Amino acid sequence: MKYFSQLSLLLPFAFFCAAAALYLAGDRAVALTWIGLRHEVFVITSVLLSLPLIYKQKWASDRNVLRGIRHLFFLIVMTGGILFLSRQRFSLLQQKIISRDWFRLNWSDSVFVVLWAFFSLIFILIALGTLRNLIYVKRRRNTARHFAWLMILMLLYAFIGLYKGRTQTEFIENHFLKYFDNIVLFLLINFIVINSFRVGWINYLNKKQKLACFFGGFLLIPLQISFVNQYKEVSPVYNFSPFLERFVETGMIFIAVYLSFAFLALLAHLPTARLYDRKLQQIRSLHDLSRALSSEFDWDRLVQTIVRLAAQVTEAQYSWLELYANGRLALVSSWNLSLNEERRRQADDQDRLYEALRTERESLLLNEAGKDPLLRALRRWKSGLGSLVAAPLITSDQVLGFLFAGKQEEFSFEQDDAEMMRAFADQAAAAIMNARLVEQSLVKERLEQELRIAHEAQMKLLPKAMPALNGMAFDAVCITANEVGGDYYDFFDIGEELTAVVIGDVSGKGPSAAFYMAEVKGIMEALAGERLSPEEMLAIVNETVYRNFDRNTFISLIYGVVDARRRRFTFCRAGHCPVYHYRAAEAVVRRLEPRGIGLGLTSGPLFQNTLETMIVDILPQDCFLLFTDGVIEARNPAGEEFGEERLAEAFKEANETHANEIKKHLLHRIYAFFDGAAAFDDLTFVLFKAVAETKG
Amino acid sequence: MDTFTIQRQDKDEFSVLNLFGFLDAHTAPELEKQLDQLINEGRCKIIVNFANLNYISSAGLGVFMGKIETVRSMNGDIKMCKMTPKIFRVFDLLGFPTLYDIVQEEEEAVQLFASKEGSSRRAYDRT
Repeated sequence: MKYFSQLSLLLPFAFFCAAAALYLAGDRAVALTWIGLRHEVFVITSVLLSLPLIYKQKWASDRNVLRGIRHLFFLIVMTGGILFLSRQRFSLLQQKIISRDWFRLNWSDSVFVVLWAFFSLIFILIALGTLRNLIYVKRRRNTARHFAWLMILMLLYAFIGLYKGRTQTEFIENHFLKYFDNIVLFLLINFIVINSFRVGWINYLNKKQKLACFFGGFLLIPLQISFVNQYKEVSPVYNFSPFLERFVETGMIFIAVYLSFAFLALLAHLPTARLYDRKLQQIRSLHDLSRALSSEFDWDRLVQTIVRLAAQVTEAQYSWLELYANGRLALVSSWNLSLNEERRRQADDQDRLYEALRTERESLLLNEAGKDPLLRALRRWKSGLGSLVAAPLITSDQVLGFLFAGKQEEFSFEQDDAEMMRAFADQAAAAIMNARLVEQSLVKERLEQELRIAHEAQMKLLPKAMPALNGMAFDAVCITANEVGGDYYDFFDIGEELTAVVIGDVSGKGPSAAFYMAEVKGIMEALAGERLSPEEMLAIVNETVYRNFDRNTFISLIYGVVDARRRRFTFCRAGHCPVYHYRAAEAVVRRLEPRGIGLGLTSGPLFQNTLETMIVDILPQDCFLLFTDGVIEARNPAGEEFGEERLAEAFKEANETHANEIKKHLLHRIYAFFDGAAAFDDLTFVLFKAVAETKG
Repeated sequence: MDTFTIQRQDKDEFSVLNLFGFLDAHTAPELEKQLDQLINEGRCKIIVNFANLNYISSAGLGVFMGKIETVRSMNGDIKMCKMTPKIFRVFDLLGFPTLYDIVQEEEEAVQLFASKEGSSRRAYDRT
């Protein structure tokens, strides 16, 4: 298919070759007789075939204005060159034709005539195709129709020419035909003019391109007009085919007229070209900024973009941005300022310039920067300042900072620069605000992430499994309401049928509480193998905590040892909540509260002297509950605390069952008491129950 | 929701701090600020009145622990009075009565300051 379309382009050429062959075969003398119509038919067929074929080519559908104009330019210059080169040949031919010395036309003459006819046809078709593309820019409903009419009229006019060339005298005497010819010509000229008004593409050229086109037009239009004349004078095609002659001629006239119209329009556009360009540039810059606003959260890149675009929209030589950070105004970014200037800038927002910007909430246009009293302080910093536009960056309620753009020359900013700056500053303020909000939420997210990590670390400090001790069932729970709490429980296997039980609460919350907890766990774990008594253990831990922790941090803790063989629980209470002991034989809950001061509150003898060790026998079905104050301080929506009484009661209720069931029951009671109240402190308890011993 | 306020009363060489509301991790810095101010002014004979305090958390207790050393080194003390049973329970559990003078009435605290006996109780005594 691809090859076919390539081949079909050659079809008109084949027709030409056929025409040339006929011409060479001796029909030259009868060129303008009816017998010579044969070549003419070939020519017309080739024109008609070429029209769609040429317009179907890729370059023909290329709607790029600039490339189209460049095509046209080269076409015309090339034609000019060929015409110039073959001028000698033309005049020679012309002489032969005038002298009607047909038989002196030799073989090479014939080829030349055929080639020239072919070339002129191709030229006109390509040029028309290019012009069509220019005309179709911003096409309206009638655009295509007008162009089609022009083509039809050109063909019709050429057909009339065909007839006229064959019947010279007859034609002139026939009034109807003569008038018809004139009417077609009149309509043709009309349509040439109508089509020539379609020069809207000029709007889309920038200033540089407009200038290039303008100078190009200077060259092209006289050249094209001279072609129209020369062609008529020298072309041998007339003697070969009047149809072709008329078609090419009207085409050339159309090109010349169109170019002239375009040139005039260009002339009208030139003075405003700069302004037009600037407006376009400004719109583009604003668009760029609003794009940056929605996508640029990288702070450095954002402020760089702002100063760069600010300089662009005002066509300034340099620009800079000053923003408030922690109540102080500082230069954050600049365009075309030296590093030294950037560093030396010390903005004082009490200065009159800032005062004016803040109170006016409008941009300022200062075209005599060298003398303006407002800029006294600024001149000391930036010498050679000629003109300045400045605008405050305002969001709904606060002034974020100020944007400046400067030039060396005086009176080089216009009022619309100031207005542009204002609009630009508003956009920039929104972008900065946006970026800051994103930054804040990122920081917040990072903090939350850190807390989550601390929480995970804390959870890892807790034992993963309950101890397996003969005749004892353990269970425990630790729920933190905040990400990181200060509660802690632990078990250590410290020897044959001995398990240490620890529950503690670090004062304060957050990551630091978790660190303290980790430290305490570390000490106790290291010492666990030493089989220290609870009193000895707590004395050592207290010394460490007192020496190393913040003075206002302390830990309440219970350290106890469950002796499975001797069936007893030995423990000390360092400022912690009491131990609840359910004595199954009596069905009572006893509150065990030996004396003791919290860890880290005091050191040395006072701590040890106060600390009391308690030893409790563990009878069958006895149960012990260790908890933190989070359990008793839990509040219901009415603000009532769960309290020790309720806890003891709940503990007593559940004691017939398994340790795990007791835990569930306690949790159930506490949650029921909350009744959906959101806030509670950390909630931790450990319990163990004497069960039937497994022998063996 | 739960607010905390401090009312300061200077009587002769004594400063009385009346605490109101909830003293927890969020409100503890306020108390810390107030104590710092008293220390800066050199008013180290401090009596804290707990009559109107509804709740105290471990962070609130920590504030007293953090300042007591400074106050005592300046020959002053923090004495506590008028605790409700609930508040006293919190102090008691942690063993504070061994470290601080906790009394019923403000006058008792004043008297304790007068008698040498009262200030001889030093929690952090390392001798």
